[in-house]
Amino acid sequence: MPSPAFDIQRTPDETKVSVRGSLDINTAPQLGEEIDRLLASKPAHVQVDLSGLDLIDSSGVAALVKLYKGVRSGGGSITIAGARDQPLAIFKLLRMDKVFNL
Amino acid sequence: MAAPIRLTVPGTLRYRGIAVRLVAEAARLVSASAQRDPTDLLDNDVRDPFDTAVVSAFAEIFNNVAIHAYQRKGGGLIEIAITPSDRDLVIEVKDTGRPFDIDEVAPLPTELDEASLPEGGMGIHIAKTMLDEMTYEPGPPNLWRLCKRLPAARAVASGRS
Repeated sequence: MPSPAFDIQRTPDETKVSVRGSLDINTAPQLGEEIDRLLASKPAHVQVDLSGLDLIDSSGVAALVKLYKGVRSGGGSITIAGARDQPLAIFKLLRMDKVFNL
Repeated sequence: MAAPIRLTVPGTLRYRGIAVRLVAEAARLVSASAQRDPTDLLDNDVRDPFDTAVVSAFAEIFNNVAIHAYQRKGGGLIEIAITPSDRDLVIEVKDTGRPFDIDEVAPLPTELDEASLPEGGMGIHIAKTMLDEMTYEPGPPNLWRLCKRLPAARAVASGRS
């Protein structure tokens, strides 16, 4: 089992999701399960910190898209920040950098 | 041209990390980029644009083989041959699983907004866009051939022209 590539901290006002290392086809399913639990609580604001993320693949992107769409469709707000290097290149290639305001 | 670097692994995602690290090191041979922390063998960080392109593309193709060719069940091998040169890096990936219909891959939306954010079908698009050449020949064995060229200016700067 790959080590978790994320950490989720909740406060009354905000949920912070920190993703680190590699978010890929082996680690994204674990994040996806946490996302399902998180979305069920209809969080008001989610902050995603990608500053510790070294590598991402399409499965990792899909997990973040699921989080983004789920929070927004539940009436919440979400900010995604800190993407750099390879992950930022992937978001730019997919033209998601503008949607995510990276 | 250097001799190919070869790696054969079982066709499951469990061996993805080993293959990706080998490809990252091969990319660094061509790009001459420095690894962030050479003492950290588990460091996955790739920062150089050439390394980023090669690793991103290869990872998606490995995923594709394990998921589509071997249907997440394994049962076959993934043979990887990496050929670095002064000017480019060529990677061949062979499997004996089910052939993949690359023509059925839908293009990504041209205008992306919140509603049209895709949740799948991005892997082949990432690989193709990151590389200079990508071909697929259905088999058996199925053969992916990936090529990334070092930009001419970088080859000149490093005395490789």
